[in-house]
Amino acid sequence: MKQLRVGLVSFAHTHATSYARYLSGAPGVDLVTTDVGEADPGTLRGAAFAESLGLRYVPDVAALLAERPDAVVVAAENADHRDLVEQAVAAGAHVLCEKPLATTDADADAMVHAAQEAGVLLMTAYPVRFSPEFAELVGRVREGQLGQILSVHGTNNGKMPLAERSWFTDPARSGGGALVDHVVHLADLLDELLGEPAAQVHAVTNRILRSDAGRDVETGAAVSVRYPSGVIAQLDSSWSLPDSAPTWGGLTLEVHGTAGSMRIDPFDAHVAGYDAEGALWESFGPDLDAAMIGEFLDAVRTGRRPQPDGETGARTLAIVTAAQRSAATGQVVPVH
Amino acid sequence: MQSSPPPLRVGLIGAGSISQVHAPAWRSLGAEVSVHSLTGAEALARAHGLSPVSTLDELWDRVDVVDIVTPTHTHADLALAAIARGKHVVCEKPLARSTAAAHEVVSAARSAGVHLFPAHVVRYFPAYAQAHAAVAAGRVGRVAVCRFRRMSAAPTADWFFDEQRSGGIVLDQMIHDLDQAEWFAGPAVRVFAQSIARTDDGGARAASATVTLTHASGAVSQCYGVWGHPHLPFSSSFHIAGDRGVLSHDSARQDGTRVQVADPRSGGYLPPTDVASSPYTAEIVDFAAAITSGQPANVTGADGARAVLVAEAVLSSIHTGEPVEVPAPADARLAGDTEEAADAVPAPERTEEGR
Repeated sequence: MKQLRVGLVSFAHTHATSYARYLSGAPGVDLVTTDVGEADPGTLRGAAFAESLGLRYVPDVAALLAERPDAVVVAAENADHRDLVEQAVAAGAHVLCEKPLATTDADADAMVHAAQEAGVLLMTAYPVRFSPEFAELVGRVREGQLGQILSVHGTNNGKMPLAERSWFTDPARSGGGALVDHVVHLADLLDELLGEPAAQVHAVTNRILRSDAGRDVETGAAVSVRYPSGVIAQLDSSWSLPDSAPTWGGLTLEVHGTAGSMRIDPFDAHVAGYDAEGALWESFGPDLDAAMIGEFLDAVRTGRRPQPDGETGARTLAIVTAAQRSAATGQVVPVH
Repeated sequence: MQSSPPPLRVGLIGAGSISQVHAPAWRSLGAEVSVHSLTGAEALARAHGLSPVSTLDELWDRVDVVDIVTPTHTHADLALAAIARGKHVVCEKPLARSTAAAHEVVSAARSAGVHLFPAHVVRYFPAYAQAHAAVAAGRVGRVAVCRFRRMSAAPTADWFFDEQRSGGIVLDQMIHDLDQAEWFAGPAVRVFAQSIARTDDGGARAASATVTLTHASGAVSQCYGVWGHPHLPFSSSFHIAGDRGVLSHDSARQDGTRVQVADPRSGGYLPPTDVASSPYTAEIVDFAAAITSGQPANVTGADGARAVLVAEAVLSSIHTGEPVEVPAPADARLAGDTEEAADAVPAPERTEEGR
């Protein structure tokens, strides 16, 4: 197996932990890490985070790129993605970028273009795409078992990120609230499932949930999407799970066609119970982050194009930015 | 009781799907039920111990309460005819095909001093009723985001897919959840909707629609309806998120019974029910009690007219592709949970306004 040097840039995103754990134990991978961005209250970051996981740590991005990594995983705050991805591709590294690819369509397009110019691979980190439940759904739809698709219902609800990594609720760093955080996962699944880019979007948001937190972002989000073939989708990406819930949140996708229906709940696999403090939720589903990074590393080793790629990241971000424009204007808006 | 009141005399108009759950509900109360229908009255009468009658005039002479379970486009004229003869009216939802007709029926009932009950049966489904009581008691705090899903195999009778006659999936099926959305989150001020209909190679029709409601309270609701393929069993769900908690229920995820038999019943247009625990019985019991005791029922004529108004705004959004403003319930008597609606003193000026 070809030996790869992989850089992990930033521990800002929740997924940095699972990426680091997987990469530090992956065969044929020499992992080097660094952190950028401001640490949020209650959040372990920087050299201390690296030490807690036994990771090799260098002081900054320049030092990391000076090691000429074959590939870089960017897990920074959303608004920093473009700058870091552009630095990495300029250094000749293939890049796996945390979702959303960027916070604006212009940034996303620039990143895709930069990777193309540099001749390196750009992949967007959408782990739910790698769930066996979604694979089964795609398989059955492509086999025609559901007939012609009519409509899709999707939910991606979670807790509002406040206790740790509160940058998710700072629009300057995250690009928005519940819309940008959770619509992209569903948008990616729809992109793969339907095989056509969305045509138009309508969204209504509100700030009733966790209004006590005083953050300048939407916490409730109701999104409608229409595809060129006529398929309609309804998405709920609200941060509506109370802090008392025993798990982070979840995602469901339900597809109805003229011949069949299927619903998936990729995060349902769990053992339930109670302890002295309340409900227990012990997940036992497959490690989707591992499957996703496996796809990335395999693509880097073989030179094939990984999926979901940078273009997918840009197309699915466009649904979010359209939803943001719709929520702001009250109008139905075309997807760029 | 020492001296039982005389049995209610009920006239069922129509003998389709819904009549098969309304008829046993009335009979469980000891009501004397006559039935008139263009087709199927004899069979329905035999199955449930009813008296078939061959003309509407015959029906009017025999009953105090009329239960209209006909196709949607006939509801208003039949209700107005019954009201004109002083009958109390139970009317399957939607109360009428148009808002104007629904308001006409409500006004006529008020003028005539008769009870009018649109059969919004979901308010009587125990999970919805329990959740509504919990939300009203503040258990989830201020309501923020609601979801309502409803699906079944597509109905096969032609009129359901004729928008002029039925209003399609929006007026026939999703009106349940449009009513629920306002029941849980208060009046809507704006709706946005999209829909799709497809016919497969075998000629089977299917449809789906999505609705986003923005409420005056700031809450937002999503309704999702599917008239799907023939294998799709009935199910419905809700998810109510407030700033202090979440309540949810999905009829497809209940585990109260598990059955393994050779011929499991599945699919179908109506949820499976038995008479004693049926929400349709609970609904008829509530209406009958309101008629005999004068106490308010859980749904009023005004609620039925409001649901038609919201559903028509939804159809308008589907046709224009744009969000549509929903008029505020300007008159409390036409929009609130009024206790006066049925027993109000006749108000002649409203009759003029209504007609």
